[in-house]
Amino acid sequence: MIRPRVRKVLRDVWHHKARTLLVVLAIAIGIVGAGAVLNTWSLLRRVTREGYLATNPASATIRTDSIDAALLERVRRLPGIRDFQARRTVYGRAMVGGTWRTAVLFAADDFAGTTIGALQPVSGAWPPADGSLVVETSSVEYAAAVVGEPILVQVGEAEPQSLEVTGITRDAGLAPGWMEHVVYGFVTPATLARLGAPASLDLLQLTVEDRTLEWEAVRRIAYDAKALVERSGRRVQNVDVPEPGEHIHAAQLNSLLFTQGAFGVLALLLSGFLVINLVTAMLAGQVREIGVMKAIGARGGQLAAMYLGLALVLGLVACLIALPAAAVLGRWYAGFTATLLNFDTTGYSIPGWALAVQLGVGALLPVAAAAVPVVRGARIPVSMALRDFGIEGEGGDGPRILRRIGGVTRPLLLSIRNAFRRRQRMGLTLLTLATGGAVYLGALNLRSSIRNSVGYMFGEVLRYDLSVGFARSYSAARIEAAIGAVPGVAAVEAWNGVRAAAARADGVLGNSFPLGGIPAASRMVAFPVDSGRWLTSADSNALVVNRSLRQGEPEAALGAELTLVIDGKPSRWTVVGIVTSGPGATAFATREVVARATGDSLMDRAMIQAEIAEPGAQAELSRRLRGALEAQGFEVGSSQLMAESRRVLEDHLLLVAGFLMIMSQAMIVVGGLGLASTMSLSVLERTREIGVLRAIGARHGAILTMVQAEGLVISIASWALAIPLSIPMSVILGRTFGRIMMPVRITTLVPESSGMLAWLGVVVLVSLVACAWPAYRATRVTTAAALAYE
Amino acid sequence: MHPTSEALITLKNVSRIFPGAAGPFSALSDVNLTIDRGEFAVVVGQSGSGKSTLLGLLSGIDRPSTGEVVVGGTAVHTLSEREMSPWRGKAVGIVFQFFQLLPTLTAAENVMLPMDFCDTWKSGERRSRALALLERLGVADQADKFPPKLSGGQQQRVAIARALANAPALLLADEPTGNLDSKTSEAILLLFQDLVRDGQTVVMVTHEQSARHLASRTITLCDGRVVAND
Repeated sequence: MIRPRVRKVLRDVWHHKARTLLVVLAIAIGIVGAGAVLNTWSLLRRVTREGYLATNPASATIRTDSIDAALLERVRRLPGIRDFQARRTVYGRAMVGGTWRTAVLFAADDFAGTTIGALQPVSGAWPPADGSLVVETSSVEYAAAVVGEPILVQVGEAEPQSLEVTGITRDAGLAPGWMEHVVYGFVTPATLARLGAPASLDLLQLTVEDRTLEWEAVRRIAYDAKALVERSGRRVQNVDVPEPGEHIHAAQLNSLLFTQGAFGVLALLLSGFLVINLVTAMLAGQVREIGVMKAIGARGGQLAAMYLGLALVLGLVACLIALPAAAVLGRWYAGFTATLLNFDTTGYSIPGWALAVQLGVGALLPVAAAAVPVVRGARIPVSMALRDFGIEGEGGDGPRILRRIGGVTRPLLLSIRNAFRRRQRMGLTLLTLATGGAVYLGALNLRSSIRNSVGYMFGEVLRYDLSVGFARSYSAARIEAAIGAVPGVAAVEAWNGVRAAAARADGVLGNSFPLGGIPAASRMVAFPVDSGRWLTSADSNALVVNRSLRQGEPEAALGAELTLVIDGKPSRWTVVGIVTSGPGATAFATREVVARATGDSLMDRAMIQAEIAEPGAQAELSRRLRGALEAQGFEVGSSQLMAESRRVLEDHLLLVAGFLMIMSQAMIVVGGLGLASTMSLSVLERTREIGVLRAIGARHGAILTMVQAEGLVISIASWALAIPLSIPMSVILGRTFGRIMMPVRITTLVPESSGMLAWLGVVVLVSLVACAWPAYRATRVTTAAALAYE
Repeated sequence: MHPTSEALITLKNVSRIFPGAAGPFSALSDVNLTIDRGEFAVVVGQSGSGKSTLLGLLSGIDRPSTGEVVVGGTAVHTLSEREMSPWRGKAVGIVFQFFQLLPTLTAAENVMLPMDFCDTWKSGERRSRALALLERLGVADQADKFPPKLSGGQQQRVAIARALANAPALLLADEPTGNLDSKTSEAILLLFQDLVRDGQTVVMVTHEQSARHLASRTITLCDGRVVAND
């Protein structure tokens, strides 16, 4: 049999259905916000760790000359090595929509028997047959690849070959093709031969026996293998040892999710504030009943248990709604983020512990939020509880400044002062709405900053409109003369480049990075210099490194002398500057210095500024350029329109800002619910006052206006507070985003007037909607009932 | 049943002073009083004379500023807040002017609630006891109705049943007829008289002149002092 006190609580819940629903919704929204982020994080962690490790990623990759069975056999006998395999990587180009795009083709003798970096077939056939191409899934969009249709592929000077796309597969170890602007494809050595490329395999991939080894230990084993390869008479071009067990983008992923996790927790905290308000509201209507129950023998503990038990039940009900919604949202966002990282979440489930945490937090949050008002309510002396008339006894008219307000009507003055009567509750409501506003305005600022930064990057830093990569090298003068003669070209620079690796103090090489050879007085790039200086024509061995290379390579400090190994040959360099140029490790030197280091004075790429900024005209220029260059005997490997790169980058970056906007919308809903609860409570507590107002002549409209005006006072105050709060919010968002995605210049600190006005519109609308029911309730109060209100 | 010589209530030098904006206000001053078991004591006086304050001290709802309040051998003024509720639930039944029934519980459930809080009867017996009390007060047919569906008189009868739920030694009533019409008021007063006849001690604050004739003693307060006790 259900105890009367339990019946009472349940019937109270039913009696105040609207308020109960608000509490449940408030908790549910908080849990959905925080739970979605937790689900995303835990699912991605599982996918990137388990999924990445399940592919058995290479512990090290050695690039050398052709690898044969005898070499592989010797590698097999090396201690500490578990798996090994040979591959070949060939750079070429693929025709996409009439434009050549860079293609990277991977070849292996036996893809089906691949042990390292296992590939996951997505659709169509696998492995590739001779004469066909299997496209890596992250390149499908960039390659406009369709299974069953051909793609024209060219390597070097050879005749372009039409290869049928027979399948799509995923290589979780590759940086996404859409991001790298590369068409990744898998072919057989026979197909390579047909394309005119060397069919021999030149990449030795290996995994270590002990997967728990640290990076240094793995590197030692890799260098044993390197020594073995060199003893066989082959030249080793470079050795890459990634961080063991860590996906290439793991750090970025963690930062991204940490930021969004912070917003999830914020949403949860704000919903906690709302629950405090709502439970206080619930108890405020029960003070007299609490007094009666204490008068007939109820102990404080019994009363506290009644109401905390109710909070627990409401939390559990909220979880019933929130957990599935958070799971759907989390899966969706994890799927989106996984795609960015070239992973697939299909087949992975959200870990049970993540759901348990959400259930625990969802159930206990309202209990924790209710604890203070419940304990306070349970401790209220019986005599005081029995005398309770809401806030009738509370005197004062709010902050001193409110006493000086003049020039407004009495009812409006009453509304303004009423808003400040319960300062703690008003403060929580204000904070909830203002935080939602700060996130909203901060996300708007971030969006503007992203657009400005992308504009800055593609306008001020990367000043060229298109680039051309050659399959062979040519003299700078020949390239620049040929391109400069094409109508529509405003300026051209020929560049060169090579891969280099820093030799460390212990003689071991670090991971390789691209070293770009640029004219000292380049008009095509202007990287922001963090410290030191940019290149000059007088430099002989000067090196400028970007921030990412500096962070990953301890030797590359400003002013340091370091040894770079280029094509197997060491050379000494001095770091003269550190610049910001993107997330990947990169270094720059003058093209003459790079030419000296490689022993090759020819250039293999060109950066071009167009006379017309319109993307369509630039695409047309790109086609004419290719035709003109090929007519003069140039072998064009690839060409890239910066407008297209900009669009792709901007779209993906703005998706992240979009997620923050969604979070801010959730906070606005929480804030609106908070306001609704505050105003309901305000009306409930002032029933007697409303009765008095009616008795002295206040009409329906006046009462309605007063309640709405009180809500508007709080909303507009929150709007005013959100504007300064959005400034630190913008800085935090911009900096975090800069660490994760790309350096964002926080160009917008003070929100644009349109954003501020939009937010004002939102809060006014939220206020009018939130106060509609309390205002209606206030108009239903009859004078007689209000004055007899118990 | 007539009052016994055994004192149920003893007040010694009791004063109650409330702080106020215009200085301390003395609601009761140096009150000495003894009420025996089985008495029907009526407390009368003008508004502000200290009647409700006296009732508050007897029920433990309020505490004296000085002096001692002993009810049924318990020094009420010494009880902590934690001890007070269970003591009050078992030792005292309170009837309020505005009934104070919980609107979301039926009449029977309202009566069962003190038994629930104080765990005084086996859970299986509580409803039958509640029904018996409602029967005794003439509202058994209203047992499963919610308070807003009952008339004022019916609500007050249910409230009295609730006050008797834990068989308290003392029944305190604060103007129990103040919100009722004269006919219903008379019926309620007769009900109290019946309870006293059955041995119940009742202390009632009232303005009803007719109550004086039913009571065994009338205590008159004026400006916080007992001016008559006969």
